[in-house]
Amino acid sequence: MRIEIIHEIASSLRNNKLRTALTGFAVSWGIFLLIALLGAGNGLMNSFMGNMQDFISESITVEGWRTSMPYQGYKEGRDIQLDQADLLYTKGPRWQGTIENVSLATDFTGTTLSLSGNSVSGSLRGVMPDYQEQEKIRMSVGRFLNPDDIREKRKSIVISSAQAKELLPKNPEKLVGKWVNAGNVAYRVVGIYSTDESNMTRLCAIPYSTYKGIYSPNDKIESISFTVKGPETLAEHRAFEKEYTGGLKARHHIAPDDNRGLWINNGYTDNLEMHKASRMIRTALWILGILTLVSGIVGVSNIMLITVKERTHEFGIRKAIGAKPGSILKLIIAESISITAVFGYIGMFMGMMACQIMDKTVAQDAINIGGEEIRMLVNPNVGLDVALEATLLLIIAGTLAGAIPAWKAARVKPIEALRAE
Amino acid sequence: MALIELKELNKTYNNGQPLHVLKGVNLSIERGEFVSIMGASGSGKSTLLNILGILDNYDTGTYTLDGTLIKDLSERQSADYRNRMIGFVFQSFNLINFKTAVENVELPLYYQGVPRRRRHELAMEYLEKLGLTQWASHFPNEMSGGQKQRVAIARALITHPQIILADEPTGALDSKTSVEVMQLLKQLNKEEGITIIVVTHESGVANETDKIIHIKDGIIGQIEENAHHDAWGGPLMK
Repeated sequence: MRIEIIHEIASSLRNNKLRTALTGFAVSWGIFLLIALLGAGNGLMNSFMGNMQDFISESITVEGWRTSMPYQGYKEGRDIQLDQADLLYTKGPRWQGTIENVSLATDFTGTTLSLSGNSVSGSLRGVMPDYQEQEKIRMSVGRFLNPDDIREKRKSIVISSAQAKELLPKNPEKLVGKWVNAGNVAYRVVGIYSTDESNMTRLCAIPYSTYKGIYSPNDKIESISFTVKGPETLAEHRAFEKEYTGGLKARHHIAPDDNRGLWINNGYTDNLEMHKASRMIRTALWILGILTLVSGIVGVSNIMLITVKERTHEFGIRKAIGAKPGSILKLIIAESISITAVFGYIGMFMGMMACQIMDKTVAQDAINIGGEEIRMLVNPNVGLDVALEATLLLIIAGTLAGAIPAWKAARVKPIEALRAE
Repeated sequence: MALIELKELNKTYNNGQPLHVLKGVNLSIERGEFVSIMGASGSGKSTLLNILGILDNYDTGTYTLDGTLIKDLSERQSADYRNRMIGFVFQSFNLINFKTAVENVELPLYYQGVPRRRRHELAMEYLEKLGLTQWASHFPNEMSGGQKQRVAIARALITHPQIILADEPTGALDSKTSVEVMQLLKQLNKEEGITIIVVTHESGVANETDKIIHIKDGIIGQIEENAHHDAWGGPLMK
């Protein structure tokens, strides 16, 4: 009997080409839109997440800023300068187990780098080895500063590839190992970082200890960075920040509710916020996708409704010669399943093709933002599982939508059905 | 026992105003008879045919077909009885337009679950019997009225029904074709012994049958024995 119904469906579909094509188009279009939309959305998300991950590191950085409120006899507008005592506070027993990997950075000192007649401006900063990770510095040649550089106060320097190109235009990579002058001090280039981020093209990193010895004999510290263990959620991070800065604010006579006395940059919360944003975009995409799917389902059920109405007379004939209500129901549903399945599959295939085309065209176009190539879409694709699930959902929904008119048709009395034209 | 027994059959339509269509119909038709039910429109003859064909139900009384009481059947049961016991021939042929002649003839067997090949063989056999072999793979809209009606008759015959119910079988045909169709029905009755009931309002058509049952205002009137109509061999009046 199963093969019989296939023949029955095939002949009925073959002989009602327009109706079949219309239903098929509604199904294919719905699935196509859904998959193309989700694919583009995923590409956008991948691009967004990928680009953001280049900037955000999992660490917290604190710097002194300028007060905005008078407090404890000090007037507002006072510059805050971190010092060794703040470092001790950060490393102190109070934060044992919470704060780890504490590192420091000095302020900047403007200078001119020169090598055999070529020169370029630069901004010297004394940093610790962790600085590379915190600032997401990517090396193109050589290495970043290491603990030996710090301990031995070596005159090592890491410069940008833009600077390297100015100093040794022919082959800048050869600069590694060479000595360059920064003002009247000679430094040995240990590495060159790629100039991805616009604000860092002038930075020249030297060991913290070296910088302190030459440019900043006092205890001044520009920024303190560290990683934390414990706080997970946004609220926990905010609580930790409040508690940690509370101690610093007390030391520097900053009003507890003055948010401008200290500048704190929390990479963890930035990440959390970013993930929240990405979740929202994803949800929005799904809502759009589901609405598209709904319009496909409405299209299918609409056509099913017309189909059943149009075929009432035929069903009357079938009933008169012995078709049971169940066989009419089965016929309509089997027809709708075969249409939605075949055309759903076509739509899915086309959608995947569209994703591939996007990947080969739009996704290859890059926008240059601040020296970095940013691709609008990265890997715009939908997983096969999602595509199959969506297609299956449309088939089921289309069938259910078709089942209601089918059930009605199956119940119409044969004489009434025969009267219908 | 007669093939068809109707006792005190009543049917009322309740569309707004109750309409008493059949008012206690008593009728018996023997196996092998060729009868016509004649009446003006509104006489209740179509309703009677629908009840005989198990396409419609009735209110009171009894209808026995081949010893089976046909009353309060489920849709499934009545579909099954229609399929096995009754063959329909309609005025407007009622063929399925997107199926070929042979597919149309096969359809009742499809609902009996007969295998495809066997079905096809049988259908071809019946088409041959009715001289339609070369039209087997044609669609209804490629055929003349007479050909269509013959396909419909083949479809009605294929399940070996107890009765053939023909509702104005010549209503859509010209006079020459009408004669041919009536001759065909007559021949089926004589040679195969099939019970045939023709519903018509044309006396010419009714005259071709062996017995004419007149129905008027929902009551069976005169039953006219017409066994010797062939003797005087008058042409079908039209």
